[in-house]
Amino acid sequence: MSLPSQGRRPWTFYVLSVMFTLFVLFLYGPMFIMFILSFQGPTGGLVFPMRGFSFTWFEALFGQARTGDVGGAFSRSLPLALIVMVLTVLISVTAGFAFRRRFVGSGFLFYTAVASLIVPGLVLSIGILVTARFLGIPARWWFTGLGAHLSWTLPFGLLIMFAILGRLSPSYEEAAYDMGATRWQTVRHVVIPIVFPGMIAVALFGFTLSYDEFPRSWLTVGSLNTLPIEIWTMTTNVTSPALYALGTVTSAISFVAIGLAIGSIAYIQHRRSKRT
Amino acid sequence: MDGQPSGSGEIRLVNVTKTFGDMDAVKSIDLVIPHGSYCCLVGPSGCGKTTILRMIAGHETPTSGEIHIGEQMVVGLKPVQRGTAMMFQSYALFPHLSVLDNVAFYLKMRDVAKAERRQRAREMLERVQLDHLAERMPAMLSGGQQQRVALARALITNPRVLLLDEPLSALDEFLRLRMRGELKSLQNELGITFVHVTHTQPEAIALADMVVVMDHGRIDQADTARHIFSRPATPYVARFMGGQNVLSGIVTETSGGVLAIADASGPTYAASASGTMPAVGTPMSFVVRRDRIALTKGASAAAGEVNAVNGRVIATEYQGTYVKVTLDVASREAFVANIGDDTYFADPLRVGDEVTARWATADVHVLERADTGAAIDPYAEDAA
Repeated sequence: MSLPSQGRRPWTFYVLSVMFTLFVLFLYGPMFIMFILSFQGPTGGLVFPMRGFSFTWFEALFGQARTGDVGGAFSRSLPLALIVMVLTVLISVTAGFAFRRRFVGSGFLFYTAVASLIVPGLVLSIGILVTARFLGIPARWWFTGLGAHLSWTLPFGLLIMFAILGRLSPSYEEAAYDMGATRWQTVRHVVIPIVFPGMIAVALFGFTLSYDEFPRSWLTVGSLNTLPIEIWTMTTNVTSPALYALGTVTSAISFVAIGLAIGSIAYIQHRRSKRT
Repeated sequence: MDGQPSGSGEIRLVNVTKTFGDMDAVKSIDLVIPHGSYCCLVGPSGCGKTTILRMIAGHETPTSGEIHIGEQMVVGLKPVQRGTAMMFQSYALFPHLSVLDNVAFYLKMRDVAKAERRQRAREMLERVQLDHLAERMPAMLSGGQQQRVALARALITNPRVLLLDEPLSALDEFLRLRMRGELKSLQNELGITFVHVTHTQPEAIALADMVVVMDHGRIDQADTARHIFSRPATPYVARFMGGQNVLSGIVTETSGGVLAIADASGPTYAASASGTMPAVGTPMSFVVRRDRIALTKGASAAAGEVNAVNGRVIATEYQGTYVKVTLDVASREAFVANIGDDTYFADPLRVGDEVTARWATADVHVLERADTGAAIDPYAEDAA
């Protein structure tokens, strides 16, 4: 439904349009400039003008140049993000169901889970490192790093599941029970299929939040860096467009992840509205 | 079929109580619903009617008491073991399954082979004339179609009791009347027990062999629709079902099976009573059907005339076959006369006219319980 036309647009429309355009430029402009500059020619530098067009810096990225261990960092960040994704979905979904029924201490548990959203990431990172040292556990990306990332992704996952399950009418489960489904059959054939789009959203959050997490990774991943830390290190000692190439590649991976998630949600909804 | 209980669909509730927290939703209820009857539980929101339905279905467990279906004590049994099937208020069709798969769900849960369950689901859909929509998703169906899918999905379990939770409330008026007819003929055809929860009195009257009127977790009256309407037991039932004027007074004389009742505000009434006569001085309430009232213009009721009250017209409402005339009769409750349209329009009334309402002693029905003076039920004006 459109609002009724009221003749000429007021002057505020133009002011706000300009502001919005500036906002969008500010939001996406730097990213696109980085994309463009990553295709800088071999003799080009970190700034415009472009001196030709090449994939030189992408090659340098994965070569044995002085650009740091990007391949190694990627080989840790990707599996870490995937593990965080799977655990976030698993824990958020099951916890979401637990929270549907009030249990003793549920309020307290919820606030402690959400509190880690407020605690500054760097402080948390230090805290985990100190605790690990105290317990004699070496910091590793797949252990202390994983824990630090989960402290960040779980509150998000839980909040999303609350929203999803809040809209799940209990009558679906009752109808399944009425027709002789066991609890497990109800979960498998009714609940999971209905909340599946929500689970994809949780997975997406889990993956992207972990993949680009810096503060919580900083002290917790140990001596082998994840990608965001590697990039941060590079900004201090790499002065070539390889830095931009790295930015382009990691952005592309994020976009692929988001595209896959949104695509699968759209596919499910399409299948539900029109039987294939 | 499929090893589930068959046989009698008689439902017996024995001293059933259900407590939520410190609130009694249902208080010590005894009720027998005969096999193969269409039973309507009716009452305002929060009266406990849905709780009773859900306890029969097995979705709630009674705090105390027993529920029997046929020969079986069913408390603690699963719905399928009880031989009940429920149709939910919003139908609760699974949004991710096609109509066919929704109907076949029960068979799938019992590991019936795909070809067979699809075949049987298709037959059930034919029965509700929806086989042409078998491949559709529920979101693409109209309200009436969704209701039929929900019916098919419930009936494929071959129940001996079908439980319907406000099945018609999501439909528009036209569809509601049509589906009401279809439910009734389906019940006739299947011969199983239907228990139907509604808050709409005409729906209960139109459908039910047995109407159970509830209030605050208790059963006020359980009887045939005709008795509930024309011979209500309590002032609450009379007001809730509508169509009645509730009047009260003190018994002043009993002779020859006729009670004389005096209203504090002036009029005296006569009512025929059977059985034990109440003592003189007992407070007494009775009802007179709105369509058994005769009106004459002018405040002509003489002092001492029985079954006649003077009043002033405060509203007239045309209802097609009759006109609903509401009178102010100096009691705390409005008095309503439903006058046939021919009679009314022969000499129409205007708001503010003085009239006298009269009725025959034979049309007076004495209530078992005197009006306690509790708040007049807000639903009283709902039904004509």
